[in-house]
Amino acid sequence: MRVGIVCPYSLDVPGGVQFHVRDLAEHLIAAGHHVSVLAPADDDTPVPAYVEAAGRAVPVKYNGSVARVSFGPVSNARVRRWLTDGDFDVVHIHEPITPSLSLLALWNATEPIVATFHTANLRSRAMQAAYPVVRPALEKISARIAVSEDARRTLVDHLGGDAVVIPNGVYVDAFASAPVREQWTGTPDAPTLAFLGRIDEPRKGLHVLCAAVPALLEKWPGLRVLVAGRGDRDDALEQLGPALRAVEFLGAVTDEEKASLLRSVDVYVAPHTGGESFGIVLVEAMSAGTCVVASRLGAFRRVLDDGSLGLLFPTGDAAALVDAIDSVLADPARRKSLAEAGHAAVRRYDWSVVAQDILAVYETVLTPAGSEPLEDRNSVVEARLRRLISRWRA
Amino acid sequence: MTGEDWLTVALAVLLFVGVVAWYLASLASRLDRLHHRVESAGAALDNQLLRRAATSRVLAGSGLLDPASSLLLAGAASEAVAVGEADTLPDDGGPPPDAAEPRDGTLNRAREEFESDLSQALRATLTADVVEDVSADPYGRDLLADLGAACWRATLARRFYNDAVSTARRLRGKRLVRWTRLAGRARWPRTFEMDDEPPAGLPRNLSPSPS
Repeated sequence: MRVGIVCPYSLDVPGGVQFHVRDLAEHLIAAGHHVSVLAPADDDTPVPAYVEAAGRAVPVKYNGSVARVSFGPVSNARVRRWLTDGDFDVVHIHEPITPSLSLLALWNATEPIVATFHTANLRSRAMQAAYPVVRPALEKISARIAVSEDARRTLVDHLGGDAVVIPNGVYVDAFASAPVREQWTGTPDAPTLAFLGRIDEPRKGLHVLCAAVPALLEKWPGLRVLVAGRGDRDDALEQLGPALRAVEFLGAVTDEEKASLLRSVDVYVAPHTGGESFGIVLVEAMSAGTCVVASRLGAFRRVLDDGSLGLLFPTGDAAALVDAIDSVLADPARRKSLAEAGHAAVRRYDWSVVAQDILAVYETVLTPAGSEPLEDRNSVVEARLRRLISRWRA
Repeated sequence: MTGEDWLTVALAVLLFVGVVAWYLASLASRLDRLHHRVESAGAALDNQLLRRAATSRVLAGSGLLDPASSLLLAGAASEAVAVGEADTLPDDGGPPPDAAEPRDGTLNRAREEFESDLSQALRATLTADVVEDVSADPYGRDLLADLGAACWRATLARRFYNDAVSTARRLRGKRLVRWTRLAGRARWPRTFEMDDEPPAGLPRNLSPSPS
């Protein structure tokens, strides 16, 4: 199958949508499909062979965070050329309502279109202003995918219609078999916690964790908190005060380091305060076999099956976070059973499963001429039946 | 009014007529596209439902299930195949060859009931234990793989079909579209409502037997 995938955000900036696009493309290529990814990237930025650079990526503030996107007549012309040259059977557009390549591709494509909606926090005011403009283009989408029940609900509330839920994919085994690093491994006296995400992005909730650290240190003097992620650390430092000695800032980490970190620590903490539609990091931590403590956000509740696969605490409540972390640190058996339950449950997010589901969506929207003719199938069915009946009679 | 004023008025009227015409043309092309989407989504749904029913019927006749399960499944599957075959889509959007009941959508209303019955029969017969037993047999495993794939694809196709229908209905509900009769004689599309819950023990991506 010839698949064209459109990513609205620049691939050199890490992010959920970008990782999803990259992994999906690589998985489909490994399965023998022809895949081309169109993404914002300057012409001199090195990109993988399957990526087509759509030109100048501009940082803009959109939907509450800064993203690097491409738009304008030059990008539009490149999108058109990519579509013509690609001769795709299906075009898979991610985050179609972004002022970037996705919308341009949606506008220009004549192929069957599949669209994945990643976000659960569409700002309704911006959306309402944009509807009259984008609605005709959105009507071209043959199949809508939402990455979580929350994303689907947002979509249905804002745009009507319906979507299927197919979660983001994770390479479960890559996390399950990541090498453990001694410097990040906890001991009974000095347990370790991990935090992942931009440290100056309030939605990621580092401030909630920081507020909990002093109280945790009283109970666990040897506790170490490992914070991985980019961003300005001044706010965090100010808030920590004397508790600073327990916190280690690792800065930006590679995929391998992230997997090792999640696998090494005793507890992964997700103190996010909102804006999460899925919670892929939770799935990654569970894949690594690590116990998860997370805010009681709708998306996290669903990933953790309402608390049976990890602990939930009221969003933003540092005191409750202290209690939750303390309870799993004090009870290694419980920690282990939660981690094991989580690890068993994440199989359904593995790329082997998710990519099959996405391929099934592609097949459903392909022009029916491409599928097996029904007459043939029915005659095969009849032939099998007749053979079986004759076997019974014999 | 002077001649210049008249010219201004005439130009304004011309511009207005032009804008209205352009808007109507764009509405018409959106409608056309949506009708096409409803049709192809309906065809995909029809395809997957028939595939599901046909595979169920073969499974019922395979001797891999106990006689009572076979009979139950064969009954539901045969009904679904029969009603599905009678429900072949007209090619040109014209009336179907033998329309016993007035058609209001691309898929027959009676079919919802028979397909739901089949879903229930599948759930009743294909429990987790049975799925395990049947997939021990290579032929049975192939059938189950096909059935699981068809169940999942039918769910997908129905979701996409209903999505297309509701989008089309929204546009057709616009006053301007109704007054100008832009939709022509195209049928008022109807969602397809059925119980499509697959058997809990049947994986949707079961790999076929190696052969």
